[in-house]
Amino acid sequence: MTKPLSIILCSEEHEKIQMAAMTATIAAVSEREVSIFVSMGAVFSFCLESPKGHRFSGGTFSELMLEKNAPDALDLLKQGKEFGKLSLYVCSMALDITGIDEGALIPDLFDEVIGLTKFLADSEDSQLTVF
Amino acid sequence: MIHSTLDVKNLNCPLPILKAKKALREVPVNAILEVLATDPGAEKDFIAFCANTGHELIENEQKDGVYRIVIKRSK
Repeated sequence: MTKPLSIILCSEEHEKIQMAAMTATIAAVSEREVSIFVSMGAVFSFCLESPKGHRFSGGTFSELMLEKNAPDALDLLKQGKEFGKLSLYVCSMALDITGIDEGALIPDLFDEVIGLTKFLADSEDSQLTVF
Repeated sequence: MIHSTLDVKNLNCPLPILKAKKALREVPVNAILEVLATDPGAEKDFIAFCANTGHELIENEQKDGVYRIVIKRSK
């Protein structure tokens, strides 16, 4: 049995969010259990309307992905949820600090608002990766 | 006998695997899916995908830059 995969996503950089979404989705459709904890600046990228006016920050590779119509990271995560066991959690601290209401997040994506302690406890037997 | 063919030529990772996962759901158990891909990582990706999911990799060949991967849905 493959170890579950736990991902802490704390960057609003397009490249990191895209890589995290690709990793999570591929793992989920390969029948590996995946949990993602969205915290820090990454929460801005998961808002229906980003308070920063743009969904991601990004560099040269981000520009190339947009130019080549790479699949949207959030759509990938939705597919991971549809075709595998992928759970998304949003950090209670990050919502509190930013003042973002849970209802302002993209719907049908997050399973729960939790704290880091709970996420770490649940990830005890998982492979943990940070983006 | 091939039940259906999935053409993912010119698509990059992770789309070939995602589309194959979806296509495998749509064919009956024990049916055979043929995948045509051009992503340079496709061959090794599909070998790993089949090893992880238990679907049977029946054929795997490359001709003129196109990978032809034949998978039997196992469950």
